[in-house]
Amino acid sequence: MLDLTQGQFVKHVVMHPFEGFEDLRWKKAGSMKIAVAIVFLLFFQQLAYSRMYGFQYYSDYDKLFNIIPYIFKSWGLFIMYVVANWAMCTLFDGEGTMKNIFINTAYSLIPYICGYLIGTVLSHFLIQDEYIFIQAFEIIGLAWTVVLFISGMKAVHQFSFGKTLLLILLTLVAMLAMLFLLILLLTLFQQILIFIFTIYTELSYRLRV
Amino acid sequence: MSRIRRLLIAACAGLVLSSTLAVSASAIESYTPYSYDRWGEAVPSQVGYTAEYFVTGDDIDKDSGSSIGSLSNPSDMYISADDLMYIVDTGNNRIVVTDLDFNLIATIDTFNLDNAEGLEDFDPESDSGYFSETLKSPTGIFVDQYSGDIYIADTENSRVLKTDIDGNVSRVVTRPTNSLYSSDLTFNPSKVCVDKAGNIYVVVRSVTKGAVMYDDEGEFLGFYGANRVEATAEVILNAFVNTFRTEEQRSRVTNSTPVGFSNFDIDDEGFIYTVTESTTTTTDLVKKLSPEGENILSSLGVDDVTWGDEPPTYYSIYSQSSSLIDIDIGDNGEMNILDFAHGRVFQYDKLGNLMFIVGGSGEQLGLFRTVTAIESRGDKIYVADGRKNSITVFERTTFGEIVTNATNLYNDGYYAESYEPWLTVIKYDGNYRRAYIGVGNALLSNKQYKEAMDYFEISISRARYNRAFEGYRDELLEQYFTPAIIIIIVLLLAWWIYKLLVKNGTIKPRKRKGGA
Repeated sequence: MLDLTQGQFVKHVVMHPFEGFEDLRWKKAGSMKIAVAIVFLLFFQQLAYSRMYGFQYYSDYDKLFNIIPYIFKSWGLFIMYVVANWAMCTLFDGEGTMKNIFINTAYSLIPYICGYLIGTVLSHFLIQDEYIFIQAFEIIGLAWTVVLFISGMKAVHQFSFGKTLLLILLTLVAMLAMLFLLILLLTLFQQILIFIFTIYTELSYRLRV
Repeated sequence: MSRIRRLLIAACAGLVLSSTLAVSASAIESYTPYSYDRWGEAVPSQVGYTAEYFVTGDDIDKDSGSSIGSLSNPSDMYISADDLMYIVDTGNNRIVVTDLDFNLIATIDTFNLDNAEGLEDFDPESDSGYFSETLKSPTGIFVDQYSGDIYIADTENSRVLKTDIDGNVSRVVTRPTNSLYSSDLTFNPSKVCVDKAGNIYVVVRSVTKGAVMYDDEGEFLGFYGANRVEATAEVILNAFVNTFRTEEQRSRVTNSTPVGFSNFDIDDEGFIYTVTESTTTTTDLVKKLSPEGENILSSLGVDDVTWGDEPPTYYSIYSQSSSLIDIDIGDNGEMNILDFAHGRVFQYDKLGNLMFIVGGSGEQLGLFRTVTAIESRGDKIYVADGRKNSITVFERTTFGEIVTNATNLYNDGYYAESYEPWLTVIKYDGNYRRAYIGVGNALLSNKQYKEAMDYFEISISRARYNRAFEGYRDELLEQYFTPAIIIIIVLLLAWWIYKLLVKNGTIKPRKRKGGA
């Protein structure tokens, strides 16, 4: 039963929101390679959404392009979520390893990516009055991802439904804390940099005189 | 090696030379002309008006040998229907009347009040200001285009005079005695305007409820065209808290009052336009008023216009925001708005689209120190400067002529006719966004959807692009619908035949890879 390859398991997981992740866990069939590919896809989806959307709907400020926000919105947030979730689950006796959390989170993102990619493609064929069709794809993709996401977290940690929700909530709080610390760190480094630079300027003036 | 270096140096020198040449070629104006793009960012532009010359008091009527002396803080101007320029010479307490080439026609400084109506209730002793035969710091003037009567806002004498050009006053308009006009308000009329019916509108600085309105008999009618209160966080909070307050508490809280408008003009159709000089609010800065006193610009869809300069994004503490002190309606309904903060003239078309930005602050020709008033006639704009005591004359450039022509055609709905002028505008100034919209609309009305889409994309005009795209898609569908359907039917047929053959065992089905 369920003699699927790793690739076929991806489809199985996505199409079976309630058992898929349990089967994945049981068969140990998650693939890190596929998961990484999915997060790359997420990155490209984010890029396409803001740069390649149909002009009649949306166009970004085009005098300036910076790739960093897109990297942060895909890879940055994803890694942060995985780390924060792993950190929280150790406090809650969750069974997930960092690798499994990574894989499950990535797999659950597939409908979201697909929905928005389809929306982006459709936006080149539809006019503003027909936006509802695009919206339908995007909303269905998002809702599906939410279901998969909760079921994935539930399976990887072997939690009850309520505990899973609590964990996700706490993970978000942990992410905020991480962000805060990151910004703090950046500002501190900036201060140190300015300090060093001031000393350098001072010295260079002294040496010149 | 050295040869390459020499070549490089020569190339660099050429670059530097050509760039300086380019700068000197475009630096005809004494400031950098600019306009705003779709993102509200300043972009280099061509000038629509160029400063031709300026006139001081000593230049007026120089030829006759009897100079009228210099002007002193000219604070208002009006060009009457018979092409006479009335200059309010505030510091010298007189009105200077010239023709449009600044040849003196008359100076009005003494008045004959013997036949003046409206003074019956007053006593020459105690109300001497009302009976004064001279002006005291007048700041506003208006000439009725039908009767030719001159209305002067005689600010320090607290009155408005209705007079002819010889100084024979026929009516004096005074402070309203009605209780609607609160007794703690002063009455120092600063600007005056008269509509077709002869109703007199007076801007009083201390009144925030709008212009003080009189009928043609000088009878106080009420207030006209008040601004709305800007919905700041404080105002909203106050309104919310007020619902819990008792009547007594409410009466103790100071009411939020709108900013009173500071100047107005009336167009040929009889609509009154107002401007509000305020650097802190953005509500109702420019209004076009219906006879009921309501703003009809918003019903024209002119709601989200930033009048004057865009608020600065960076260094906002170092730069002032625009402060609009005068408005003038041109021959085609274009609005010329004067910005006191930077001495700039903003010209908008009648639908509130920015056309040109002219002027700036400085000493050279075309720049100002303290602008006070603006008037226009034909292709000329006149701007008075209260510190330089001069009037600068701007004339429309070739570029301005083309843009005005194109804009008028476009606004009147002649899209196809405006195609050529707009294309010429793009040739002159590739940053002129409205030109791309104009060309796009002309193409759209000509059913050239694909080309229209390109122009709308350049001008970042999404709604119009959407319309062009819809037409383009319909065209494609019409063209390819039949072949597409035929292909689909053929494919379905092939699939059906394939299935049939598999069923009969004529061919073996292909095995799917890795099936479960």
